[in-house]
Amino acid sequence: MFPAKDTPTSLSNNNQERVVFPRAPDFSHAREAIVLSTERSVALGAVDLHKSYGATKANRGISLSVMRGEIHAIVGENGAGKSTLMRMLQGVERPDSGHVVIADKPVVLNGPAEALALSIGMVHQEFMLAPDLTLLENLVLGEEPVTRQLGPLSRIDWAKALREGQGLAESIGAQIDWQRRTSSVPVHILQFVEIIRLLRRGCNVLILDEPTAVLAPPQVEELFDLLRNLRANGTTILFISHKIGEVMALADQVTVIRQGKTVFHSTIAETTGPEIASHIVRDAPPLETSPPPSRTVTGEPVLELDGLSARSLEKSQSLDNISLQVRAGEILGIAGVSGNGQGELAECIAGLRDTSAGNIILQGADITGETTLARRNRGLAYVSADRRHEGLTTAASIETNVIAGSHRAPPITRGGILSRKNLRQEASKRLAALKVVFGKVTDPADSLSGGNQQKLVFARESADNPKLMIASQPTRGVDLNGIAAIHGLLRDFRDQGGAVLLASEELDELIALSDRVVVIFEGRLVGEVTSPAGAMAQIGQMMVQGDAA
Amino acid sequence: MSSSIASRSIGILLPLVVSLIVSGVVLLVIGKNPLDVFSLIATESFGNARRIAATLSAATPLLFTAVATAVCFRSGVFNVGVEGAFLVGGLAAVFLGFTLPAAWGFALFPICFFAAALIGAIWLYVPGILLAKFEVDEVVSTLMLNFIAVAITGYLVNGPLLSPLSGNNVTPLIHEVAYLPRLMPPSTLHAGFLIGLVCVAAYGFWCRYTPAGFEGGLIGLNQRFSRAVGISVPRTIVGVMILSGVIAGIGGAAHGMGQMHRFSDGFSPGYGFTGMAVALLGRNHPIGIVLGAILFGALASAGTTIQLFSNIPLDLVNIIQGTVMIFAVVELGRISLRRKKGTANAG
Repeated sequence: MFPAKDTPTSLSNNNQERVVFPRAPDFSHAREAIVLSTERSVALGAVDLHKSYGATKANRGISLSVMRGEIHAIVGENGAGKSTLMRMLQGVERPDSGHVVIADKPVVLNGPAEALALSIGMVHQEFMLAPDLTLLENLVLGEEPVTRQLGPLSRIDWAKALREGQGLAESIGAQIDWQRRTSSVPVHILQFVEIIRLLRRGCNVLILDEPTAVLAPPQVEELFDLLRNLRANGTTILFISHKIGEVMALADQVTVIRQGKTVFHSTIAETTGPEIASHIVRDAPPLETSPPPSRTVTGEPVLELDGLSARSLEKSQSLDNISLQVRAGEILGIAGVSGNGQGELAECIAGLRDTSAGNIILQGADITGETTLARRNRGLAYVSADRRHEGLTTAASIETNVIAGSHRAPPITRGGILSRKNLRQEASKRLAALKVVFGKVTDPADSLSGGNQQKLVFARESADNPKLMIASQPTRGVDLNGIAAIHGLLRDFRDQGGAVLLASEELDELIALSDRVVVIFEGRLVGEVTSPAGAMAQIGQMMVQGDAA
Repeated sequence: MSSSIASRSIGILLPLVVSLIVSGVVLLVIGKNPLDVFSLIATESFGNARRIAATLSAATPLLFTAVATAVCFRSGVFNVGVEGAFLVGGLAAVFLGFTLPAAWGFALFPICFFAAALIGAIWLYVPGILLAKFEVDEVVSTLMLNFIAVAITGYLVNGPLLSPLSGNNVTPLIHEVAYLPRLMPPSTLHAGFLIGLVCVAAYGFWCRYTPAGFEGGLIGLNQRFSRAVGISVPRTIVGVMILSGVIAGIGGAAHGMGQMHRFSDGFSPGYGFTGMAVALLGRNHPIGIVLGAILFGALASAGTTIQLFSNIPLDLVNIIQGTVMIFAVVELGRISLRRKKGTANAG
């Protein structure tokens, strides 16, 4: 292992120092020979990349060498410059200085199409698949095999498309029912389809942007098996992640980016998780990873759901007969794979989605038919999972965002007149209370980092002494410092007698924060864990299978 | 803050500059010196006090229709029905202005204006409630209501309300006591211009210093967010539609009682639509609206006289007006794109 300042800038130097890794056991000899002969070449790399957006220096010297046939992980906080690097590697952005290296040669990319032509493909966090088409149609979309070249009269050769899809799926050990409609397929299968689509287009270098963010633990395992098979077939993988555990489990090499620079690079064999972590964050408060001591919650019930059901609208998950209770001074975690109804449940409680049966009781009062405003006046706070579109209005000013909802209350509005001065005072007070870092209160909320945006949301939602906080994916897209701060806020709120309903796809987070965890699967509650610490496997099982078998 | 002012000024100036270039090319093609023509337009619209008064007079109805449009546009409601509300409001005011006894004197002003505001409000309440409760597309419903307004007023001025003393298509004149005072006789500039400025100022105040204006701006930017913080989106939509109708109705009344003194078939040569262009050009900002209204007023007033003093066709001024509108409407495309995505462009 060597820190970044020692990273050799010459690519050939770097190659000589490389350590060759043992391969997957099922590795065929013929393949190995081919791979070994090209192994010392750089499939995808960067030399001293710089990129600025106005005054913001997003990348300030990033060097990277992804060796052919390896899995290379890039880790770093949000805002460390990973996305900018990806955009340059993909040709979406041009570097201000430095250059991108593909297959040992410096290249100038003018767009993703050129990267694709050089066999570089990217799997984005949000999949680029048309939901109403079948998987097969999505596979060939844009590059359909045709029976005869007749210009606009060509017919698509579906039999050939299917053969291609099946062949590629088999080669990486995935099973895919190509005739299914895309919207009905679980998310990890969609990811496989994205990968196969790139393979079909001849990509031998894949960039995966936080591929595990939407997956449940068993699905992550499936993905990792598939990626290892890909590596065995000679595909190079650049893997972007937040999660050190995954990097240690999967990658051959790791590069850490902090504040737009490469600060660390090592083979996985020569480093440790804590060492990587120490390079990702400097000056970060240690995350409280040990779960809280088992507490007995004796507070009054704040939220009670009694047989709550909701119909499915526009592809949303329906909810079926959900009953639960959250007491004062308690964090109730809701575990579930994305799309199993946790978001819909939060929306029902917040009054943003119609229910079809059952009751929602807040502090003894039935609020089932009440408006969102009435619920908020009773002490409900809602931290949306969709921070950029529901939690905030990114184009509006910071002060508007932190005040919205309280803008009719005194002292901001008195006698029908909204006082800009009082609004600004109250906004500054709220922002200061949660230590939100911002430029000016009139700047758009978009100017804040992810963590500060979320703190702004908490500053707004916690301002009116709520009794119940619905927190949906509260740390999604938030850096480690921000996560620590938000966890602190949730714990403080709980300790001061607040009730929290916490929906999160991060099992670690649920276990670290929750006093109890319930598991939601296809819109039903399928289990409850009263002491979440150490129950990760049990919860993961229920999340995927719907029971604890 | 300064960057938003800069981008706003560019937003106002750019359509103007582009349209000057386009019309300059047209002029060159027909063998005229563009600079001569432009300076003639400038003199004709701002050359002396009388001409300025004519320009402001032409700008007066646009102040109302632009504000009525901006109220809705900034809330993300694409109300194109200001023209219709302007017509029905104007006819209501004129009708009362010649029907009620002249002896009521100055009391006619508040009565006529109130009636115009009320009928304008009712007129746009209908598409408002259709949008809020049943998600009926407001562009379609308000556009159709314009045709209905033209047809109803056309029928009334050709039938029941036809003046027995005049030729076709006009109502009787309103009582002289109900004429809005002229500000600079002999020009037609009347007190409606001042009422229009008050409306613009009230609109600016509403945007910034009232909770309803705050909510309107928020639902225009992000409806999901607004709902989540407890703002009733349907109620806000109905509210801005009513407000738009009130302002458009008052505008019709001011035009009827200040300018026309009667209602005729050509009561509005598309003030509602020009008002949309003004609101877009002014980026829904009060000062932008005043400047935009004066610009269009200048083109209108210069157009009518310029033909008399040179052999430049009136069509040329219409070309300038048309290109300004086109480039102002480019902004409309951006707003409607933003609305479809439910938010401003993600970074």
